[in-house]
Amino acid sequence: MPRETHLEATIGRPLASTISKAKVLMVGAGGIGCELLKNLVMSGFKEIEVVDLDTIDLSNLNRQFLFQKQHIKKSKAHIARASALTFNPNVNIVSRHQNIKDQEFSVDWFKSFDLVMNALDNLDARRHVNKMCLAANVPLVESGTAGYLGQVTVIQKDETECFDCQPKETPKTFPVCTIRSTPSTPIHCIVWAKSYLFNLLFGNAEDDDDEVLSKEDSNDDETAKELAALAAESQALKAILESAGTEGFAQRVFDKVFYTDIQRLRGMEDMWKNRKPPIPLKYDDVVSQSDNQPTPMDIETETTTLKDQRVWTLAETAQVFSDSLNKLTARLKEMRATDPEASVHFDKDDPEALDFVTATSNLRAHVYGIEEKSRFQVKAMAGNIIPAIATTNAIIAGMMVMLAFKILNKRLADCKTSYLVYGRHRPQLIVSEPLAKPNPKCYICRNSYIVLKIDTSKSTVQDLIDLLESNSLVELEIQENGRVIYDPDFDDNVAKTLESLQITDGKFVDIVDEEDRKIIVYLKHM
Amino acid sequence: MSGICRSRLAEERKQWRKDHPFGFYARPDKKQDGTLDLMNWQVGIPGKANTPWEGGVYKLVLIFPEDYPSKPPKCKFVPPLFHPNVYPSGTVCLSILNEEEGWKPAITIKQILLGIQDLLNDPNPESPAQSEAYVMFKKDKVSYEKRVRQQAKENAP
Repeated sequence: MPRETHLEATIGRPLASTISKAKVLMVGAGGIGCELLKNLVMSGFKEIEVVDLDTIDLSNLNRQFLFQKQHIKKSKAHIARASALTFNPNVNIVSRHQNIKDQEFSVDWFKSFDLVMNALDNLDARRHVNKMCLAANVPLVESGTAGYLGQVTVIQKDETECFDCQPKETPKTFPVCTIRSTPSTPIHCIVWAKSYLFNLLFGNAEDDDDEVLSKEDSNDDETAKELAALAAESQALKAILESAGTEGFAQRVFDKVFYTDIQRLRGMEDMWKNRKPPIPLKYDDVVSQSDNQPTPMDIETETTTLKDQRVWTLAETAQVFSDSLNKLTARLKEMRATDPEASVHFDKDDPEALDFVTATSNLRAHVYGIEEKSRFQVKAMAGNIIPAIATTNAIIAGMMVMLAFKILNKRLADCKTSYLVYGRHRPQLIVSEPLAKPNPKCYICRNSYIVLKIDTSKSTVQDLIDLLESNSLVELEIQENGRVIYDPDFDDNVAKTLESLQITDGKFVDIVDEEDRKIIVYLKHM
Repeated sequence: MSGICRSRLAEERKQWRKDHPFGFYARPDKKQDGTLDLMNWQVGIPGKANTPWEGGVYKLVLIFPEDYPSKPPKCKFVPPLFHPNVYPSGTVCLSILNEEEGWKPAITIKQILLGIQDLLNDPNPESPAQSEAYVMFKKDKVSYEKRVRQQAKENAP
């Protein structure tokens, strides 16, 4: 019995035949991608192209089941292809270990597919594929998961909302005032400990593009600059740093950070009119309390498995503080023996770094009367860990294939946006709603997309303007990816060639005219 | 960059070109390649008449995050300003620029600049950001004003 028999019986011959001829692009071969590729090869798809720039990491193996230990450091796209072919060798899979944003993946290339499926993990690549699919007028199945939550939807130019029609929530960032002076929640203390204090003690003050508050937000290096600027200000602490490795070093750092600095902040009386003022903390007071208490080592042997899960006592915290501080400064000293510019960066998987951040954030929380957190909780918060759950990915990838069937069956109207929800007060796990119409104000999908074939090495901005004006567009503004190339108040670039402004093959140029008509020109060099 | 951020900044640029308050300027920063960078603006805010700030035009950079206008721009005086609510690095501490407080996506660049202009002569002692200006403002108004007038002269356009 041929393997297609059951499929044909279930969905009917015509659709099974359409599916077998459809050319599908799958972007991303990670958590959702592995599940999706398995689904595709097992449900009759015969022409699949997979693009992923990533390589396999040990931490992927619990859920990205197409990969095994021997595949670590190899291309996700290639290994996913090889593994999926063992399920069904009669499928043609092309795998590319490349960035989907590479120039060779042009609008024409996207047009060669009947359907694109996104299995991505970041906004930037999603936005790019969204735009390419709009320009190529190819339907896109979009997906995402976070822990127990997930969603799938369909994007089709002029029919549905596009990925950019609504603002996307991004990780919260914190104003410097809150972090430096007026924390009110545990995360404020953790950010202070890992981004400010940690860099001050173990980084270079000049390191101004350090890892910072949240990974997705590129503007964060500005926050890091801010933190670095404030860091440079703290001359007193630097003087203490000179004494690293000597007797009483930990105590001097402790008293500076949790006593002197807090004392100074308290001096700004108005700041505490409507806030609870912090209470300065001295090392000796904390340690003398601890004389009659068991040391952390004793406790550890008592309840080994729980040490990470419970909040430490103040004395334990102070002990972990001085231990981790001494270890990290010793490590830094060793590194600087060979490289004077060396620095230690916070890494949630570095036990000493995590100890230090847990201890200092909790000491600060104590000073400000904020709830303290366990080491386990601090790790999750400091590392921005979003748990990835195999089951969620599997459910979402399954729903993506259902949407693909409907699209290929020309039943776009029956497609829905579906959410996987968990832990709400409702009985169903999956909630669906009709596809939304495009946002009439969307800058990305409410435009005309025009392909312009032009010699970008010879044509100037003025040539482009003339061409557009001859098509009765006046008072133009020309932009490319957030750069203003030309507008009525800015004509510096008119004589330059497009190429000299990096406006080359494959770039999108945004045009707005006086009446707010928007056109996106996709350039093809010729 | 998200489409929402880009379209909004393009719109802000257009509105500012058409109309802006007297004495202010705001323009996207020029990049090395000769184009303008919509994510980073150079702006100037004049001190109000009949205040010690009069006569100065105070320069700032506005740095817009990718998720503007969901998130506010960072506003930073260059060079750093002597003012109780300005951090030693130059960053302005103002509630409408704080995502957790007064920021709303509808706030325009014009409103931000007018807000900072108001702040100049009307500091908020509840959020001190630098001790030098804060302490002088609280303890010695005469020296504070003198220092502000001196700063205005240094920032004369």
